[in-house]
Amino acid sequence: MVALDELQLRYVDALDRRDMKSWLASFSQKGEASYICTTAESVEGNLPVSMMLDDCRARLEDRVTFITKIWAGTFQDYRMRHFVQRIHQERDGDLWRVRTNFRVTCTPIGRDQRTDTVAGVYEDVVDCSGAEPLFLSKRAIADDSVLPRYLVYPI
Amino acid sequence: MDLSVAGGTGRWDEVRWSKALNKVPKEIFVREDIYRAELQKIFYGPQWHGVAHEAEIPNPGDFKTFQLGEIPLLINRDKGGQVNVFHNACTHRGTQLEMADRGNKLQFQCPYHRWTFDTTGRLTFCPAKGEGYEPGFSYDKHPLPRLRTATFKGLIFVTLDGATPALEGYLGEVAGVLAGIMGGDGRLKLIGYHKTRLECNWKTYADVDSYHAPLLHKAFAMFNWTGGREGVQHIVKPYGHIASTSLLTLPEDRGASMLKDTSLLEFRGEDPRNGSRVVKMFPMFGAVKHLDVINLRFTNPIGWDATELHYAYFAHQDDDEAMLKHRIRQSSNLIGPSGCISLEDAAVYHRQHIGSRTPGTIQFQKGVQSTSDFNYSFSQKDEASNLIKWEYYRSIMGFGRDV
Repeated sequence: MVALDELQLRYVDALDRRDMKSWLASFSQKGEASYICTTAESVEGNLPVSMMLDDCRARLEDRVTFITKIWAGTFQDYRMRHFVQRIHQERDGDLWRVRTNFRVTCTPIGRDQRTDTVAGVYEDVVDCSGAEPLFLSKRAIADDSVLPRYLVYPI
Repeated sequence: MDLSVAGGTGRWDEVRWSKALNKVPKEIFVREDIYRAELQKIFYGPQWHGVAHEAEIPNPGDFKTFQLGEIPLLINRDKGGQVNVFHNACTHRGTQLEMADRGNKLQFQCPYHRWTFDTTGRLTFCPAKGEGYEPGFSYDKHPLPRLRTATFKGLIFVTLDGATPALEGYLGEVAGVLAGIMGGDGRLKLIGYHKTRLECNWKTYADVDSYHAPLLHKAFAMFNWTGGREGVQHIVKPYGHIASTSLLTLPEDRGASMLKDTSLLEFRGEDPRNGSRVVKMFPMFGAVKHLDVINLRFTNPIGWDATELHYAYFAHQDDDEAMLKHRIRQSSNLIGPSGCISLEDAAVYHRQHIGSRTPGTIQFQKGVQSTSDFNYSFSQKDEASNLIKWEYYRSIMGFGRDV
């Protein structure tokens, strides 16, 4: 479980530093590795469209391209601070299924702004078959159905 | 002008507009008194407002909540299959009746005194069956108030004003493009939402133009994706609704120089003439078809300085499993508040809002043929097409223009 927590902390530290290369490195190299950012309203309503739907390794890599190349310099950037607390874990062979509460503050860099907060839960599947645990899938489910302005970075 | 708070000097209806038709006073974006007047004259006045599509509430008992201006709405499908739009407030003491965004209920009960309404809005229960209430009290006298509604291909419009002209005439030439966006027949299947709160006046959002797309959204240049070919904008007078059509084009390499998963830019539709469609109606409703994304945008002001935008995404009922999955994947990552080709919009809206606190006017240039006469012929990339809507806005608000 220490290893699970270390992986989660590596993940949130990467996002707080807006280091997308390190964010990507927290995911498995397997083709089915995935990241989904959605809302509780969508999950409970069985609505599959997500804020971010990176359902394969190729899309995870494209997420990094969006942020570091395509959108670079076009949006007002913001600082993030992630606060996480693991609340459940369950082993399934080499996989761990982990639930973790999150609270993320997003503070735009610049004038005349306020800090937005997104709270919710991560539903993760961690692959422990290799030298280090990595996310096979990560689903961030936000409690609020209306999210602030725009989301550049994964949560 | 007071730059620190919403407000301006003098009466709101004394704000003067420039003689030049391509200029709009910035003051109107940042005055709360003007917003209050807009609620009465526009949102509660003789206009139609798109609030939902029937595909969002496909089954008896399905409902969603929304707002028209500051009025909470309850939109449902009753047991008989009929779509209704009610005031979302108990007819007794005015308590908000339903709080959920969406759901399925065959009755709505107010928690305060347990007054209960069925799916048709009929009052069906009061404690003691109304005994001891006013003389002549009966359930029939206290149904949920309904809004006047009209539908187009399943798209639900509402108005608070009995004098609003029939929807068919209000839509005008928008109708054909709107139908095209909705698969021709409006037989849609809801696949999800993006909901976001924009930090800007509602008119800033509504004033978005197609001129900006390849300039702000770098994805187009990076993918070497030049859209808008053979594009035209149809204007519906006097409202200034815009229906934009252009031939769908795709990057030659499908974005492969940048993307590992090129399905994001894949078009599986059969007719490229129906691959790129945009409808922008007065005051706020919008509809977009990019590639295979079917997107209806239900929008409402949240005060003078914020706007709530619900992107609703749909598949068509005739889609096979592969097309359904494709639409879900493309809708999620192409547009919306984290979309590859649209993320930048919200940040710019906010910067426009801040900039609107400076004196003077905003101006339109691309597509302006004259500053003293309106023209109605625009290419797909002109911004001046918005001026027709601005003139309609000015006239119904009663602002004078310098001569």
